[in-house]
Amino acid sequence: MSATPEEIAVKRQRWMTVARQVATPLISVLLAMITGSLIVLVTGGDPVAAFAALWDGAFGTPYQIGETVMRATPLIFTGLAIAYGFRAGLFNIGAEGQLFMGGLAVAWLGIALAPLPWFLTVPLMLIGGALAGAAWAFIPALLKAKVGAHEVITTMMFSWIARYFVSYMLDGPMKAPGPDGQPGTIPVSQMLPPQSTLVKFNQVFKFIPTNNAHLGFLIAVVLAVVVWLVLRYTTIGYEARAVGFNPFASETGGISVARTTVISLCISGALAGLAGVTEVMGVHHRMSDQFSAGFGFTGIAVALLAKNNPLAVIPAAILFGALSAGAGLMQLNANVPDKLVDIIQALVIFFVAAETVVTWFVKRRMKEVTKHV
Amino acid sequence: MSSFLNILTTVVQPDLFASAVRIATPLALAAIGGTICERSGVVNIALEGLMLISAFCGTAVALAAPGLFHVGPITATWIGVCAAVVAGVIASSLHAFASITLRADQVVSGTAINILALGLTGYMIQVLYHRTGTTDAAQILPPLFAFKVHPTGGLGVVWDWFSGVFLGHSPLVYAAVIIAIVAQWALYRTRWGLRLRALGEHPRAADTVGISVIRGRYMAVLMSGALAGLAGANLTLEQVGSFSENMTSGRGFIALAANIFGRWTPVGSYLASLLFGFAESLEIRLQAFSNIIKVPPQFFLMLPYILTVVVLAGFMGRAIGPAAIGKPYEKD
Repeated sequence: MSATPEEIAVKRQRWMTVARQVATPLISVLLAMITGSLIVLVTGGDPVAAFAALWDGAFGTPYQIGETVMRATPLIFTGLAIAYGFRAGLFNIGAEGQLFMGGLAVAWLGIALAPLPWFLTVPLMLIGGALAGAAWAFIPALLKAKVGAHEVITTMMFSWIARYFVSYMLDGPMKAPGPDGQPGTIPVSQMLPPQSTLVKFNQVFKFIPTNNAHLGFLIAVVLAVVVWLVLRYTTIGYEARAVGFNPFASETGGISVARTTVISLCISGALAGLAGVTEVMGVHHRMSDQFSAGFGFTGIAVALLAKNNPLAVIPAAILFGALSAGAGLMQLNANVPDKLVDIIQALVIFFVAAETVVTWFVKRRMKEVTKHV
Repeated sequence: MSSFLNILTTVVQPDLFASAVRIATPLALAAIGGTICERSGVVNIALEGLMLISAFCGTAVALAAPGLFHVGPITATWIGVCAAVVAGVIASSLHAFASITLRADQVVSGTAINILALGLTGYMIQVLYHRTGTTDAAQILPPLFAFKVHPTGGLGVVWDWFSGVFLGHSPLVYAAVIIAIVAQWALYRTRWGLRLRALGEHPRAADTVGISVIRGRYMAVLMSGALAGLAGANLTLEQVGSFSENMTSGRGFIALAANIFGRWTPVGSYLASLLFGFAESLEIRLQAFSNIIKVPPQFFLMLPYILTVVVLAGFMGRAIGPAAIGKPYEKD
């Protein structure tokens, strides 16, 4: 069967769209891993052993798969947060701070709401933590909308302020007493009562082997779908995308850019806050100032890799969750510092941003493909 | 009231101002780098990461130099300073390549460099020093001027203040002042400066009259890398000696705010950095009175970041940045 030139052209266009959406991220990850391997090689390590150990640490046993899912959970939230911001033309680089405020809020709410049953505490805590995250994004959002202060600097500064505020609260008003009733020695909050926590999957489904994955993952997946629907089918989502695409045209078209900016950055903050919420409720069951492994920053890589598509955030978060879960075993077995994972993450961001490098590969492949038609 | 006076006299000493200048130096060097880079139309959110990478490379080379080149500790440190500058230039070339040649989003490219810097320095600490968090300590550069004379009487007080505030500093502190003045002159009084500003305001017009946009922007980004490198060298090789993970702690972002507060001018950047330096210097000294001023230490530590937000909020509306900032240039 022979195709007309038009049909070939249409096919090629479709191919290119698919390639850009799927192949670019995949090639970016591949290039990042190759570059990472080179770094391992140059510094005297064995990249094959490193990635083998990384794989074992991420997927080797059911327990390790649970670790990957557990670590992917906050990344889905922060990935969604940053993707939502990007859609509205905002770079919420301070997701880490909103995450800290979300975690702090539920560490307090969980104790304050203790007498209530779980079907009241859990939803209230989720809402409270999301509101805390949104509140922490509100001032940078307002400054962006009113005077044009760049959100990259202001949210970053608020991130540092949040960390010191959390450190103060955990060392002062919210500090847990020691086991003997004396003032505590370490800056952590009180343990949450069981009805204020998110249970693990294997506690609900008995057939699942013991691991640390918790119901927060389910909430994250549902929320990814919700955010996708919001962006696609609601006025708020439409306005966010319009402003992100072209603020001047949007303003002319009757959308208030200032209002959309404030709402979008607050939604982004709420999503980031939820990352802190599920970490505290599902993993640590209390707040400490070491509770986040830079989830707010990894969320940037997640969002970019997902091309700001809320549904694609899920696999992207699982990838970075796996890298983070495997890092420990990689350091232990292959003697390669676990920081390699951060390097790979930065390289992924770099390659996704510098799409031209990647599309060059794709285009070359395209030429080969079309040659054979 | 007497306790207030007590605090005042204890705090307002030459060292308050001297340490303001010291703290301002890395901010100012990075901020001037930011000024040059942004004047050419390229946003440089990577200052933080550039400082971090340079600080690490500077320290690592200064530590290795005595064994490699058989030099004394001070010479080794100077070699470290040079290495920091080179590292800053190399790391910034990555940002230049991505944002100028590949026309990537400049903020995202900068973020990649910031995260890369954090990961790479942490990685290299483990590879080179077999532990996490911090390197060994290198020799720090001594003050440039050392005076043995000490007048007595009224002149003595004046001398104490003068030498205390201005004369006790290490070389890069003075270099930063000179760089600020030279850069200001170059930006407004030379052909290079006029061309650089044209790139950031209207690159198409600059291109039309025969100025190479690509080359001009590359030069500007690499210069900002060199200056961020000096800033990193100042942090480790003049102030602390050793490198510790994430030791820049947001200084790159504060420097960017200082650049905006200084209205995208080198001298303005320096003066704005001085304000941040003074605030932090004051905060450190006031912390000693936590028994009188009942404020938890964490609130003092928040101050530089709060001040940055306040400055941005207060001055952003009135400060107008380069018109073509952040926009990749594409020749037709």
